[in-house]
Amino acid sequence: MPVLEVRDLSIRFGGLQALEGVNIDVNEWEIVGLIGPNGAGKTTAFNCITGFYKPNTGTVRYRGADVTRTPPHKKAAMGFGRTFQNVGMVKSTTALENLKTAQHAKVQYDVLSGLGGAPASWREERELEEKADAILDMLDLQSIRDTKVGGLSYGTLKLLELGCALATDPEILLLDEPSSGMGPDESDELGERLLKLRKEFGLTMLLIEHHVPLVLRVCDHVYVLNFGRLLAEGGPSVIQTHPEVVAAYLGGEAPEALAKTQETNEDAALDEGTHRALKRGGRTPGRKAAAKGTAKARPAKSAKPAKSAKLAEPAKAAKAAKPTKAAAAEPAPVVPAPRQAARKPAAPRKAAPTGGETVATPKPAAKRAPRKTAGSTTSTTTTRTITPPPPAAEPSVGDATGTDEERS
Amino acid sequence: MPTTTTTDAGADVGVRTHVSGRPHRVRSGVSWILRLAMYAALAWVVLKWMPGNPDRAGKASDAVQFALVGLSLNIIIGYTGQLSLGHQGFVGAGAFAAAYSATVKGAPFAVSILIAMAVSALFAFMLGVVALRITGLYLALITLVFGLTLEVSLFEVEEFTNAGAGQPAHRPDFLIENKPYFYFCLAMLVAVVYVDWQLTRTKAGRALFALRENERVAAAFGINVTAFKLLAFVLSGAIAGLAGALFAYRYENVTGADYDFFLALTFVLMVVVGGLNSRVGVILGAVLFSPFGLEQLLEIHSVRDFIANIPGIGEGRIQFMPRMIGAFLLIQTVVLNPGGIAQQLRPVTRWLGGKPFSLHGDKDSGPGVVEGSSARA
Repeated sequence: MPVLEVRDLSIRFGGLQALEGVNIDVNEWEIVGLIGPNGAGKTTAFNCITGFYKPNTGTVRYRGADVTRTPPHKKAAMGFGRTFQNVGMVKSTTALENLKTAQHAKVQYDVLSGLGGAPASWREERELEEKADAILDMLDLQSIRDTKVGGLSYGTLKLLELGCALATDPEILLLDEPSSGMGPDESDELGERLLKLRKEFGLTMLLIEHHVPLVLRVCDHVYVLNFGRLLAEGGPSVIQTHPEVVAAYLGGEAPEALAKTQETNEDAALDEGTHRALKRGGRTPGRKAAAKGTAKARPAKSAKPAKSAKLAEPAKAAKAAKPTKAAAAEPAPVVPAPRQAARKPAAPRKAAPTGGETVATPKPAAKRAPRKTAGSTTSTTTTRTITPPPPAAEPSVGDATGTDEERS
Repeated sequence: MPTTTTTDAGADVGVRTHVSGRPHRVRSGVSWILRLAMYAALAWVVLKWMPGNPDRAGKASDAVQFALVGLSLNIIIGYTGQLSLGHQGFVGAGAFAAAYSATVKGAPFAVSILIAMAVSALFAFMLGVVALRITGLYLALITLVFGLTLEVSLFEVEEFTNAGAGQPAHRPDFLIENKPYFYFCLAMLVAVVYVDWQLTRTKAGRALFALRENERVAAAFGINVTAFKLLAFVLSGAIAGLAGALFAYRYENVTGADYDFFLALTFVLMVVVGGLNSRVGVILGAVLFSPFGLEQLLEIHSVRDFIANIPGIGEGRIQFMPRMIGAFLLIQTVVLNPGGIAQQLRPVTRWLGGKPFSLHGDKDSGPGVVEGSSARA
């Protein structure tokens, strides 16, 4: 019996069908990935599973028991640990305090004996602190023990948030983009860490992730969402070359876009800024574009800058074919394309500024498309090919789920 | 530089010993003697000087009651990040409940205080239910209307107000004098400070801080947001009710006019100026805005003359000065000094707490402490 069994999950926000008939199974000790383009409904699915949203139809079963309508704090006590996309922590308190707060559900003494200062509460507070220290040790975060969480860097925050999720003593861990804000090395390390955690704590995990190497490395099974529906599922290697998945991610005109941009260091540096800019103003347009299903509009727009840049020949060839089918029929650009990329170093550089502009403009949906595909071309590893690299992906998911969260 | 010790705790001491040429222990001893002197001075002021004569003792007990209200309000505004502009309602309800139950129904002194706490907690619970659904500006409006409504409805009921003459509330014999009454109020304050300290130390306080900043995160940590929000309101209401009962017995008469909207504003003002989330700050702010603070200051002849001689003020307008100063302090706090008096005094309070004196404070100081709540207040 699966630990988590999601059946026919649907939720509608006004005119937007955010999820429709989604089925997800997570078995004991499995690490399951949930991927999909921006606005696909990944975080909405998380919110339904953890009880923040009440789905219109469908059930969520946890070890056989129906928990669809169970409120989130009770689910936390049952063993659902989760992290948030935009980092969910108490920012005005220290890392230690956060880890103690996260253990709330496990605290034995009741509120009144706490207020009265009963000896049991003192004893247990000490235990909480010991456990918090143990988690800090495990994550190598002792140095920030007494630092206010608000002042920490994004990557550290993400790691500490994982620690907080662990402090809730979960059986199933739902991680919403644990690697966002981390560099490649850090996210490799995170992958190791997740595998280690599973081993040590016997955890089951469901994670939303955009960083493909991480997904390939840790996931046993991957679900792909697109426009609120389950597009595909299977082992990571199957998903990697799945034609529909590739099409969904690359917007149907992938090869063309592939030729044009490259993820630069600047992009990575701007990543944080994008995130913030989007949080301020750019969310809704992005979400709307995605929601309306403008899959076709997107590649059309993204093609514009591509024309100005000199197109590579394989890309042109691909363009001739029907957009969606092109990617499907021709897995070549999808699976590694190191040579193509290496051949024309000029093109990426030209395109780089467009990537920069994306950061500044609050209308990301259309413009972001080229950037998204960019990483896949130029990266020399085969693994990059399915999904966009984190910098491109992260802000966009920010807009998708940002709106979700505001709705509640 | 030779290292004399290698233990982590002693390393610093060892080095300093070498540089200064005398043992560190002596210096820390001196600083402890200074601290003890400060504690003694504080104890003398509070225990001896404040209740020095009956009039001053009376005003000092007012100050203690204000401090109780401040702590009560701090739970809602500071810890929980909600807002209450109707706190005079809770205090007034407590005062009437104590006076009515004691004088009309003949309840003993202690029981009447408990009844006052229960009644105010009930009102606060009702407002808490509203706060579950509404936040920010609208919650502020609703609490404001709540206070005003109580003022013109419940506080006007003839049975409670003794047909407008005011409901008498006589102190028991052992508290007839102002001095013992002050000590009694002080004991209550100590008890509430203890509970407040335990609150911030244990899971309930952490739950409030978490839900103040992000209710979804709090829920993900397993915190029952609904229950803890209500707990904050009930706890705050009970403390406000206690303060109300003490007000009632302080003047031995309760009229509705005593609990007007201006009082609620003063409460919010003193908490913000004192420093949200800081017990010391809130208590000092409360003392400053109580009849014992600014008003008492104007009683001093030299101060009074000095202010009266400022062009444009004069003897006739001097009574408005406390309010003017209050408004000025509020602006100063909000703009320059979000941590309030507590933030300014942190080097001193830290030192009194046994840490080395440092003007720069520690990681706990600074605007970050109150960021979440001051923005909403």
